[in-house]
Amino acid sequence: MIKMNVIFRHLNIIFTITYPLFVNRKKAIQSLLAITAVGVSSVSVYECAGTGKPVSIEALPQKKQLLAELAETIIPRTDTPGAKDAKVEEFIIKMIKEIDPKTQRNFLAGLGSLEKYTIDKYDHPFTDCTAEQKNAVMKHFESKAVYSIGILNKISNKLLGTPFFTQLKDLTVEGYCTSQLGATQGMAYDYIPVKFNALVPLQKNQKAWATK
Amino acid sequence: MMISTGDSQIKATYDAIVIGSGISGGWAAMELCKKGLKVLLLERGRNVEHVKDYPTAMLNPWDFDLRGDTPAKYKAENPVQSQGTNAGNAHFFVNDTEHPYIQQKPFHWFRGYQVGGRSLTWGRQCYRLSDLDFEANLKEGVAVDWPIRYKDIEPWYGYVERFIGVSGKKENLSQLPDGDYLPALDLNCIENHLDQSIRKNSHDRLLTIARVANLTRGWDSRGPCMNRNLCSRGCPFGGYFSSNSSTIPAAMQTGNLTIRPYSVVAEVLLDEQKQKAKGVRIIDTISKESFEYYAKIVFINASTIATAGILLNSKSHRFPNGFGNDSGELGHNLMDHHSAAGAQGAYEGYKDMYYKGRRPCGFLIPRFRNLKGGEGLDFTRGYNIQGHGERSEWMDTRTAGGFGADFKNTLTHPGHWTVWMAGWGECLPYHDNMISLNNTHKDSWGLPLINIDFSFRENENKMMKDISKSSAEMLSAAGFTNIETFNYGKPGGDTVHEMGTARMGRDPKTSVLNGNNQIHAAKNVFVTDGSCMTSSASQNPSLTYMALTARACDFAVEELKKGNI
Repeated sequence: MIKMNVIFRHLNIIFTITYPLFVNRKKAIQSLLAITAVGVSSVSVYECAGTGKPVSIEALPQKKQLLAELAETIIPRTDTPGAKDAKVEEFIIKMIKEIDPKTQRNFLAGLGSLEKYTIDKYDHPFTDCTAEQKNAVMKHFESKAVYSIGILNKISNKLLGTPFFTQLKDLTVEGYCTSQLGATQGMAYDYIPVKFNALVPLQKNQKAWATK
Repeated sequence: MMISTGDSQIKATYDAIVIGSGISGGWAAMELCKKGLKVLLLERGRNVEHVKDYPTAMLNPWDFDLRGDTPAKYKAENPVQSQGTNAGNAHFFVNDTEHPYIQQKPFHWFRGYQVGGRSLTWGRQCYRLSDLDFEANLKEGVAVDWPIRYKDIEPWYGYVERFIGVSGKKENLSQLPDGDYLPALDLNCIENHLDQSIRKNSHDRLLTIARVANLTRGWDSRGPCMNRNLCSRGCPFGGYFSSNSSTIPAAMQTGNLTIRPYSVVAEVLLDEQKQKAKGVRIIDTISKESFEYYAKIVFINASTIATAGILLNSKSHRFPNGFGNDSGELGHNLMDHHSAAGAQGAYEGYKDMYYKGRRPCGFLIPRFRNLKGGEGLDFTRGYNIQGHGERSEWMDTRTAGGFGADFKNTLTHPGHWTVWMAGWGECLPYHDNMISLNNTHKDSWGLPLINIDFSFRENENKMMKDISKSSAEMLSAAGFTNIETFNYGKPGGDTVHEMGTARMGRDPKTSVLNGNNQIHAAKNVFVTDGSCMTSSASQNPSLTYMALTARACDFAVEELKKGNI
């Protein structure tokens, strides 16, 4: 069933990395649980304060503009279209409804706390931030999502669902790269290749193929 | 051709009945029709017509509601199938909730209940078995001996290859005999690099392009392949072989074929006096009515697990434990290749090279273990390594850190070259790896659910370790970096090569079928799908099923003419 489908294969590759490190698993889980405990208590503080509440799934479509700005910060318009041009926010909204409950919860909570964090720090919402401010906010949430030790990310995602930033970035990438603008202008798309040419010299500013 | 879903247009008696329209059933129908027999082809699922019924075939990624992904509801209803499907091909797989089975141990049973079966979604790899495989059980005293050798099947391999169209390269290896091939697809530069390193470092190993039923030129009014690599959606160009694109249309052309979709076979009916099958009882899956059809010969090609299920459910005074089950082996000796272990790595170099087109296959490193014996390995038999080389693209580079213009730049430009490879390994036939009928749970048509009790054992696990080790060594010797070995720990069924539940053998006391795929005790019943396999070898098996089917059809018609069956 080789290459039965690309997504399947790539899921496998994610599991890949977990296995050889199995020996460290127990240790890793212990440190992770410690980190988690801190994380959970800080979330409840936010809730008591009455702000930074998780966005409800029903209200997610109202966050379209915010999601568009977040996605654009990840994949900005350059000499090729960006995430906003490709309407990645619509894809994100659709996908969050289809995602596993833990990851959905993390995403909605993360979105709420990002709104609060931005207002606390800059006195205006993310959509009104300057480019530097947007980058600073994203950096903050990236650091919260990504452990420096790779194995911790894998275990954390399995136990607690994918963190907010990781999911946001993942959906932005997928939404952009599978969109018509992203695939055909951001990258190179070959609808019907006809021939397979195994050796092609790389052209200047050669774009990567959008599909495998 | 006639297609009927009711009994009014359909006769009760045919020359031959074929159960199942997948890769081997399609062949049985075509061969018998071409030899002048009136054939009833029974299919439990819906009809799928070539091209017309490939709704996703020409869609772009952005044409799908969730792009490649399937909805949460689909995943929840299809916990097994959803692990191997995507938005483009999910309609060619069964609904797990409508078609339950019992996993006594974890086993993924991927099924395609439609005309064409899994021939629509198969991996298209076509490798011949050799006498290394046919003799292995006898030499090692494992299970029972195959009743045939390579010379018995060799002409039929060629016959099938010439009809279906297989692209590939001859390599003159005794363990992987060459066939009749269309021009091979090319290896890319990283695959050539690895091949050169492998040939330089060992006398008994090489890397070759996969041998696949993808057409590199027009063939039998199909193709050529357009190199879209979307095969499992069905190909409107007829670029690869399937029952739908090839054998069923050819059978139709004879005017001898009747297809009856929505027909699940409940049992094979025995003529107690003649000690032969007289026909089958089916249940119309829509009306749930039973119908009986009669024929001189019956070919069972329902796929390994379902075929054994039908025979086990066909009980009579003569066969109280299932049709033709004098040996007690029916349902036992279930095998599936393992394909979970391997290695991957990256290569710094060839930065100025790329490729164009999506080649619908990877490469093969033919079996190099236990070719002669005395190698001091801690496992028996061997494996073929399958893999592919490519440059990293967004699905790989998405894991890069950061965001913004730099990240976008990494994402949208070709990254370093990588090779991924894994071993497709032989699984020994264990008597207690088996399927059975569940006595309490029934499906919507009142048929007993199937229990599947399967696990890989010590020999397979030791082989997997060797696969990862040898893969990593070959990558390392070729100068790859960031080499990671893996074992995905996949359950049985994941390779979708289930086989062995009605094995061929020389002795009716220990096997279900003889060397012509006839049931020992009912000579007008032929079983030529994966269930006939006496051992699994390590080659992707569909080509062997097709060759055995064509061979058995030829034999069956000769026997009919002689009045022997």
